[in-house]
Amino acid sequence: MAAPQVHHLFHAPIADHSFSTDRQTLAVARDNNVELYQASGSKFTLSDELKGHDKTVTSVDIAPNSGRIVTCSQDRNAYVWEKTATGWKPTLVLLRINRAATFVRWSPSEQKFAVGSGARVIAVCYFEEENDWWISKHLKKPIRSTITTLAWHPNSVLLAAGSTDSHARVFSSFIKGIDQRPEPSAWGERLPFNTICGEYLNDTAGWIQGVCFSPSGNALAFSGHDSSVTVVYPSAPEQPPRAMLNISTRLLPLNSLIWNGENEIIAAGHDCEPFRFRGDESGWQLAGSLEKQSGAGAAGAREESALNMFRQMDLKGQTAMDTKLKSTHQNTVNTIRVFEEADGQVSSFSTSGVDGRVVIWST
Amino acid sequence: MSQINYRTINVDQLDPESSVNFPMETLLPATLPQPETSSDAANVATQVRQLLRSGDTEGALRHVLDTAPLGGDDRAKEVHLATVIEVLQGIRQAEMTRVLEGVTGGEGGSERADCLMKYIYKGMSSPGPSSDAQSPRKTVSPQATGFSQIQARNLGEGGGGQQMSVLLNWHEKLVELTGTGSIVRVMTDRRTV
Repeated sequence: MAAPQVHHLFHAPIADHSFSTDRQTLAVARDNNVELYQASGSKFTLSDELKGHDKTVTSVDIAPNSGRIVTCSQDRNAYVWEKTATGWKPTLVLLRINRAATFVRWSPSEQKFAVGSGARVIAVCYFEEENDWWISKHLKKPIRSTITTLAWHPNSVLLAAGSTDSHARVFSSFIKGIDQRPEPSAWGERLPFNTICGEYLNDTAGWIQGVCFSPSGNALAFSGHDSSVTVVYPSAPEQPPRAMLNISTRLLPLNSLIWNGENEIIAAGHDCEPFRFRGDESGWQLAGSLEKQSGAGAAGAREESALNMFRQMDLKGQTAMDTKLKSTHQNTVNTIRVFEEADGQVSSFSTSGVDGRVVIWST
Repeated sequence: MSQINYRTINVDQLDPESSVNFPMETLLPATLPQPETSSDAANVATQVRQLLRSGDTEGALRHVLDTAPLGGDDRAKEVHLATVIEVLQGIRQAEMTRVLEGVTGGEGGSERADCLMKYIYKGMSSPGPSSDAQSPRKTVSPQATGFSQIQARNLGEGGGGQQMSVLLNWHEKLVELTGTGSIVRVMTDRRTV
């Protein structure tokens, strides 16, 4: 296990980050703008800025194949940015929402994207050729509160959403003329728009902060503000799930999670380090941190000379500086994303957080 | 009508779909137990006292946490809180760790731990029944000072302060075992005790 690669970009929170497929471009949401960083050697240097939003940008996603970037912000707008000879050109999306847009992700087909919002709707957006703009259809029922997170099923029709009403839900976002009719699965057979394929609530409730489908799409995991991770295995359409396993941890809440194969989940959040969960339908458990226990902490503790110790006592009234966390991230992790994978097996992943760092980890 | 200052109208109250009208009962899971009454809670209290008298402190704590009236009314919850505090006060400090390890281990152990954490926080937020009963001084306090909390908590004197220190001891031991996750769950869980 190689040491994590740390890229400390700036001293401000990163709301979301996204890498392009070639892993050379990194988009980072910083305040009202999105900054694009280009890899040069082992570092990332600022190459471009996407300016257009006039409130905090909440989410950013780069489409792997087309390279289009979609951003959304608290100003209730989303833009699709396309690279032209003269720079990045934004196209406004008609979201029709009256509260902040909170989360955006491209569907795997890249024909659509979904925007979660505080207006208790998910706007599923697609391109309309004749008018040359992106329009949206709303998933409304039965969302009762802000959407905090979204994740796409590999078939680009099913969409998982986590909300501050403590429910994780699976919807169909089938749009005629855009989507292929999906294969029937345990989630459902006929899937018209706004079909609710699943609605899940933990016993301990708590806002849902992260959702993710397993690589096969046949299981759903979500993490909530009750410091737990829940894994759901659906049985058949309209039936209660085959298994719903709740792992309540002794950690602080986890904000974001990804699957590594069908039997491992990696999640990170307020404890500032990524954790591994392992299991299957019969049970899941926490398998420990991905942080090397002796790593950052031991290396960070410098050799203290007696002179230095007395100087510290004189200046600060304490012998050692204890303001540095032992983890690689120095503050809450907001986003965790797959960096490199093959057939659902993740070999490395990236995290970003409030401390302005983007870290690439090997599993 | 022209006198209305439209800026001060609380529009959320006029909108039936507004977030202030959020139905809290939608956060309760379907597995919530049957509602209990205060007489059920009193029965549990008798059983628990028997266990305590026979010296089975671990059994008493386990039983009182397993029978928490999550779906009960306020009166049942109050009676049960008094029972839990009685059990907690009845366990000696030297025994705490052993009892806790027994109660929070095994099948359903983490639920019991979360439940105990809820009672610890509830106990710390309420004035404490013993101090209520035995402090007539409080009711004849000279005049209302406006600092209602100072009187209600009654820290450092009488039963309230002692109860607080017992609860803080339990809190420390429980966090060692179950971590901060358990505290977070007290805040999110709508199945209140």
